[in-house]
Amino acid sequence: MIAAPAARAWPGPRRRLARASAAAGLIVPLSLLVLWQMGAHRGWITPQILPAPDAVWAAAADLWDSGDLQANIAVSLRRVAEGGAAGTLAGLLLGAAMGLSPAIEDYLKPTFLALAQVPSLALIPLLMMLLGIGEALKLVVIAKATLVPVALNTHRGIRAVPADYKEVGALFRFSRAQTLRRIVLPAAAPPIFTGLRYGLSHAWLALVAVELLASTEGLGYLLVWGRQMFQLDTVLVAMAAIAAIGLALDRSLAFGEARFARWRAPA
Amino acid sequence: MPLQGGVIAISGLVKRFRVDGAELTALGGVDLWIAPGEFLTVVGASGCGKSTLLRLIAGLEHADAGVLSHDGAPIAGPSLARGLVFQEPRLFPWLTVAQNVAVGLENAPLSRAEKALAVAEHLTLVGLSAFARAWPHQLSGGMAQRVAIARGLVNRPDVLLLDEPFGALDMLTRARLQDELRAIQQRAGATTVFVTHDVDEAAYLGDRVVVLAPRPGRIREIVDVKLPARRDRADPRLAGVRERVLRALGEDPGYPRPALVADAAWRRPATLAPAAVLQ
Repeated sequence: MIAAPAARAWPGPRRRLARASAAAGLIVPLSLLVLWQMGAHRGWITPQILPAPDAVWAAAADLWDSGDLQANIAVSLRRVAEGGAAGTLAGLLLGAAMGLSPAIEDYLKPTFLALAQVPSLALIPLLMMLLGIGEALKLVVIAKATLVPVALNTHRGIRAVPADYKEVGALFRFSRAQTLRRIVLPAAAPPIFTGLRYGLSHAWLALVAVELLASTEGLGYLLVWGRQMFQLDTVLVAMAAIAAIGLALDRSLAFGEARFARWRAPA
Repeated sequence: MPLQGGVIAISGLVKRFRVDGAELTALGGVDLWIAPGEFLTVVGASGCGKSTLLRLIAGLEHADAGVLSHDGAPIAGPSLARGLVFQEPRLFPWLTVAQNVAVGLENAPLSRAEKALAVAEHLTLVGLSAFARAWPHQLSGGMAQRVAIARGLVNRPDVLLLDEPFGALDMLTRARLQDELRAIQQRAGATTVFVTHDVDEAAYLGDRVVVLAPRPGRIREIVDVKLPARRDRADPRLAGVRERVLRALGEDPGYPRPALVADAAWRRPATLAPAAVLQ
């Protein structure tokens, strides 16, 4: 409220700066695109290995018109939503339990840290034997990938709540529930949200990996299928879709994160 | 019993801490009676236990021996009848100024409307009603500490405890807040215990100045100020009070002599790291 007039007094330079830095970020991808188009046009690379951008664009249009692209995206998003939700819930519970109770931390933290060191991909061979290659495998791998950063950041966030703040609560005779709701939760919210963001991006990466290895549908499968059919245009379309969706998911959570912490001093 | 509440009685108070396995006596037998409505300042070198004394009165620490009571009732824990202002404002950054003051009323037996009114009144009291919806990071150090004072007073406690609340402020802000605090204290009528290491501040604010000696913390002397509530910083009688307090402090080899105090003040304060100065 106080900073608002000051912020309104200087909208020009800041916004111009933001636009300038966004434009700067486009230079490299656009140059690569031009180089790619030139390379394909002049025959530096055979189109069987790297198809020209316009060919990829045409393949994308074909995949879209046939509905294949949407169907595979829907499958992948559903897996991320289900596995990610399970992993987030478990991660929040585990992180909160370890953050709030030193006893639970003593019991679970070493095991948890050991599990966190195992890449989600390294679990796949074992899980395949246990779960087969059906949906359960994908959900468990994605859930594990989500759980680790969510639990880690929740645990750290709760641990980092300053004792000074809790003392203010003690002074006003806060109950344990009041301390939790009024002090611990809001103080730990920014790191917890960061954990959710990492969790989602890990979920997306794990999804693609598990679909590459064991799936008959989804964006990862589209990649494998394109390679096997030697349709590199399809591979590139799938890659672009994976990047675009991953970025969109991350940006939407980043936006939520910024709204969540509007009380923070501007950096 | 006095008509007005806010009597703090302390006798035989002992507090020990364990630091790195060694036992440290922070307070070694303190007896003190604080009158209702009195403005008591407590001064001493760092490590003399003055903050510990304040935290014990607040109920945030427990005594190892001795008795503390508030209007006859033993102090067993924090109470809404005793407000405490810390050295740092300790505002919650995720709450607005008004919400931060309302934190003090979380467990007060008041209706929603009564709480809103109490918050508004206390923001007016510290001159910040225009900033009710500001975030803490938008406030200056002096404003933040005023919010903390409003939070400390919002329950209308009959005892207000302040732990070097102006220590981190610049000289002008500090002088202004000292005057405001005295005015607020007279209006609110709360017994006030103000801990500081600044002799000028202790003499200027206090009806009595308690001088603590360190290791173990104990009362060296209690200086009666005997000056009217409205004071002039240039009052020569105030210089006399300062002199007595300094002499009481100077008897303790752990505290720099008056001449050395002047010398140390002339040098750069130790809190400013050289790197920070260069930048």
